[in-house]
Amino acid sequence: MSFESPLFWPAYIKEDVLYVLDETLVPSKLKYIPVKNVKAAVAVIREMKTRAFGQFLVVLNTFLLELEGDLEGNCPLEKQGTVPIKGTVPFNGTALIIKHLEDVAHKLNNSRPTFPFAEVTGIVVGAAQKAAANGVDPRLAVVKTVQGFLAGIRARRLQRVQEIADTLHDKDHVLTHCNVSGELAMAASIAAAQGKHVTFFATETRPYMQGAKLTVWELQKAGVHVTLVADNTVASLMTEGFVNKVIIGSDRSAANGDIANKIGSYQIAVLAREFGIPLIVLTQPSRSVASGEDMPIELRDADELLVFDGKKIFGPQVKGFYPGFDVVPHQLITKAIAIHAGL
Amino acid sequence: MQDYKAKSIYLFHGILNTVSLKTIKLTSKDHAFVCEGRPSLEAGRQTSGILLNQGITPTVISDNMAGFLFFKGLVKEVIVACQYADDTGALCDIGALILAVLAKEHKVPLKLIVADRRTRFLGDPEEISSFEGQRIAPEETHGYVPLVEWVPAKYLRKWHKIWVQKS
Repeated sequence: MSFESPLFWPAYIKEDVLYVLDETLVPSKLKYIPVKNVKAAVAVIREMKTRAFGQFLVVLNTFLLELEGDLEGNCPLEKQGTVPIKGTVPFNGTALIIKHLEDVAHKLNNSRPTFPFAEVTGIVVGAAQKAAANGVDPRLAVVKTVQGFLAGIRARRLQRVQEIADTLHDKDHVLTHCNVSGELAMAASIAAAQGKHVTFFATETRPYMQGAKLTVWELQKAGVHVTLVADNTVASLMTEGFVNKVIIGSDRSAANGDIANKIGSYQIAVLAREFGIPLIVLTQPSRSVASGEDMPIELRDADELLVFDGKKIFGPQVKGFYPGFDVVPHQLITKAIAIHAGL
Repeated sequence: MQDYKAKSIYLFHGILNTVSLKTIKLTSKDHAFVCEGRPSLEAGRQTSGILLNQGITPTVISDNMAGFLFFKGLVKEVIVACQYADDTGALCDIGALILAVLAKEHKVPLKLIVADRRTRFLGDPEEISSFEGQRIAPEETHGYVPLVEWVPAKYLRKWHKIWVQKS
C-alpha cells in the first residue's frame, strides 16, 4: 500500500466549485478554499495558498470554472465525465468563448512569473481555437483537453513515484528541500513497504517554511523517519556524512536541463557537488526557454520575510530581499527524473 | 535587482558585534546583506542593529538565499564570525561552511572575524520546530539543531583575511 498525501492532489472540482487546499494552514488545519472564478484562482496562486503542482491543478481547472460561470441555462454538450457543462451559448458565440478563454489564460499567465503557466494555458486555448476552426464547439475541446490532461498527469506522476521509490535504497539518508507535492512521501511509503529503511532530512525552507509544515508532516504520515533542520545546516549534514542523497523538485525546466526551484536549491546543489553527494531532481522537461538565465525569477514582498504573525521580526528600518526561486545549472544535477506533462 | 547591481554587496554571517564590525569599512556605494541566522535570529538582529547604528541600512535575507546572491554575481565580500581559528580551520556559527563553499566556487573573498565568544554547540529540537515561539512543525517532530560547524582551512585561502577581535 502506498500513502497518498492530500498534497499529492491538492485541488478538485465539486459542484461547479474548485476546492484548493490552503497549504499555508497545514499541518494545523486541512482547509480547502472555494474558488469560483479566475480572479479567485489568481489570488490563491499569488498568495501562495497553493504552489508547485497545486498551481498546475488550479490553472487547468479554472478553465472549467470559467466555462461554468460564463454560460447559463441548459447544456448542449451534456455532462462530460464528472464535470457538468451548463450553457446555451449559441454556436455563433464561438468567438466570444475563445476571447474569454484567452482572457482567462492571460490572467493566469500573469499570476506569478517563474512558473511556466503559459505553456499549460496555451494547450487549452490552442485546443479550443483548433476546435472552433473546425466548426466544433470549443467548450467541448476545453473539457476534453483538461480532463485528458489531468488523467494523464496523474498516471505519469504515479509512474514517477515508482521511479523515485526505485531510486531510494536501503539505508539511504535523503535530504530534501521545500516540498514535492506528495510524490516523495508516496515513494517513501513504497520503499518502506519493500523493506528498505530510508530516513529523511527536511530543510525548514524559510520564509514560508514548507519543509517544516508540509514535508515533515506528510513524511510522518507516510510512516517514515524525518528530521527537520534549519536551511543553514545543509553543509554540516553533508560533511558529517548524515546524508548520502539529495532529492528536490523543480518548478520549471529549460531546454539545456537547467531548472528553477525554491530559493535555497542553488546552494544545496553547489554543496552536493562539493561533497560528492548525488543531486536528484524531479523535472517537467520543457524547451520553451533555452537555459536557466532566460527564466524570470520572482521577487516577492520583503514583508513575507520580515513580518511574522503580524509583527516585524527585525528592526523597523531593516530591509529584506526575497527572491522566490533559484536557478540550478544542469551541470550540478546528477539525475533528473522527468515527467512529461504532455506539453 | 538593478539597485543591488549598482552597488557592492557585503554578505554578513554569524553573531558579530560593534568592535568587529568597525573593521569593515562600508561606504555609500556598498550594500550590506545579513543572513538571518536561524534558529535564534540573533545574528540577523544583532548585526543589522549595529549596521543601523553605523548609518547603514541592512538588508536581511533568509539563510537559504545566499546562493542566489552569489549566482547573480552580486557578492563582493563575505564577512563571517567565528569563535576560534587556527591553521586547520575555523569554528563558526552554523551556516558558515555554506558561504565558504559558495565563496570558493565564485572566487569571492571571505573575511573571518574571530570573536572571543562561546555558544552552545547544539540547540533544542523545539527551536527548529517553532518560529518566534510559535509552533510550526507537527507535534513530535524530530529536529537536529547544530549551532556551530567547522570550516576546514582549504576553504579559507590566502585571501581570507582574519581579523581577531579583542575581548
